[in-house]
Amino acid sequence: MTMTTLQEPTLQEKPTVPRVIDSVSPTSGTRVFRDTVAGEWIKLRTLRSTYAFLVGGLGATMLGSLILYLLIQSYDKATAADKGNFETADPSVVSIPFVMFFVGSIGAMLITSEFTTRSIGPGLLAVPQRRLLLGAKATVAGTAALLAGLFFASLSFASAKMLVGDRPAPINPWPVWTDALPKVFCATIIVMVTTIVAVGLGTWFRSTASTLVTLGSLLLVAPAFAHFLPTVWQLRFGSILLPNLIPQLAGSNHPYVLSQGGAVAVTVGYLVLALGAGTISFVRRDVS
Amino acid sequence: MLDAGAAHPGRTAFHHLESLARSNGIGKARVKAVLEKVGLESVAHKRLGGFSLGMRQRLGIAGALLGDPAVILLDEPVNGLDASGIRWIRSTLRSLAAEGRTVLLSSHLMSEMALTVDHVLIIGRGRLLKATSMEEMRDRFARDVLVRTPRAGELATILTGLGASVTSDGGEELVVVGVDAVTIGGAAAAAAIPLHGLTPRAATLEDVYLELTNDAAEYRAAPEKAA
Repeated sequence: MTMTTLQEPTLQEKPTVPRVIDSVSPTSGTRVFRDTVAGEWIKLRTLRSTYAFLVGGLGATMLGSLILYLLIQSYDKATAADKGNFETADPSVVSIPFVMFFVGSIGAMLITSEFTTRSIGPGLLAVPQRRLLLGAKATVAGTAALLAGLFFASLSFASAKMLVGDRPAPINPWPVWTDALPKVFCATIIVMVTTIVAVGLGTWFRSTASTLVTLGSLLLVAPAFAHFLPTVWQLRFGSILLPNLIPQLAGSNHPYVLSQGGAVAVTVGYLVLALGAGTISFVRRDVS
Repeated sequence: MLDAGAAHPGRTAFHHLESLARSNGIGKARVKAVLEKVGLESVAHKRLGGFSLGMRQRLGIAGALLGDPAVILLDEPVNGLDASGIRWIRSTLRSLAAEGRTVLLSSHLMSEMALTVDHVLIIGRGRLLKATSMEEMRDRFARDVLVRTPRAGELATILTGLGASVTSDGGEELVVVGVDAVTIGGAAAAAAIPLHGLTPRAATLEDVYLELTNDAAEYRAAPEKAA
């Protein structure tokens, strides 16, 4: 290999010495993190996939409302005896898992797109502190997911409440509007947690396909798989799945087994496990 | 700049640079300035997927310039570029050096580096084998002088007498080692021998590199066997 240099030429007039821009001078940790977050925010909002997945989330919400509409139509035509056997018109079962997948995919793409396009290289040149970079990505993805989750959860629950109207339980689980608020809040939190978990998974796998398949398996396949387990294990296994943490966090754990505190612990466990694995992978493995 | 192609194809040039700049607290004005400097301002809002290799190299250099660095380190900046791209890189790097920056290039393209740089560091297996200026290298690794004259035999005798080693192709050409072109020209003039050509030939950077790294080469092709 040959390393070659261009030397400063001998000039009559001294050239302007390149200045170091003030804003890139050593700064506080908070400032560095804030700048990194700002950079990651630009990356997130300039990825086309971000908008595609948001449209997917909206589609899932609208599809969920359509399914609930059909359920209520069916309910209205049912006999009084059959009406007691209807499921509740709860979007946390019908549409929120799909919203979790679509919004979570935004978090996954924030990191996997950099590995697949090799733009992680310039990213690490700009911010060599890997923990800080991953933390900024998780912060940006989590914040975006919090906003998107709040929007989709509010839309899902509001449309469900409008559709179900004043019908009695069990199809209407919320006699008044405000009864749905704990679930809206918990669904929002779980959408955010799922997205941060997706960032961790993406950092570990470094592949969009692997990450989205794993995310889809966790959110959509595992709950279906749980139905085939013996009842005891069905409930135990089902209780720790991300979509099923929503009712448990909201304090209505039927039919699952976790208390509210237990649900919080499992939720935190997901974050620690995914981000921990992602951090270890990001810090220890070479990116080239 | 390590890999100019390492950018998301769905992002625009401006957004690519803006994300890098913002993560270091650098504003949009600087992004616009570096895009203008590398001549990409007209395509700043086009997606990178449609960029040629040359445009990506320009973008990579723009990224390297964001922080207005005093030292710029570029890895293989001319790889895969066409002639106009190479010329642009060469003039850009020279202008960056003229601004007072140190520009450090890493390359295997010896002929291109010979045209571009002032100083050479030759590295083999992680060890610095040679650090010299191009000018010094040209002088030190001067190879021979090619002489064309209709009285080759006479001139060869004179030059041998001056201590030179002369080889002849039997015609008008002599290859002279051991004396420089000035001495040969003077000797020919003194003997009234006409010269049709007098060409000092220096070793190329490639020759020097191969000579210096002969022991440091990691992989070597087997010599071809004579048929």
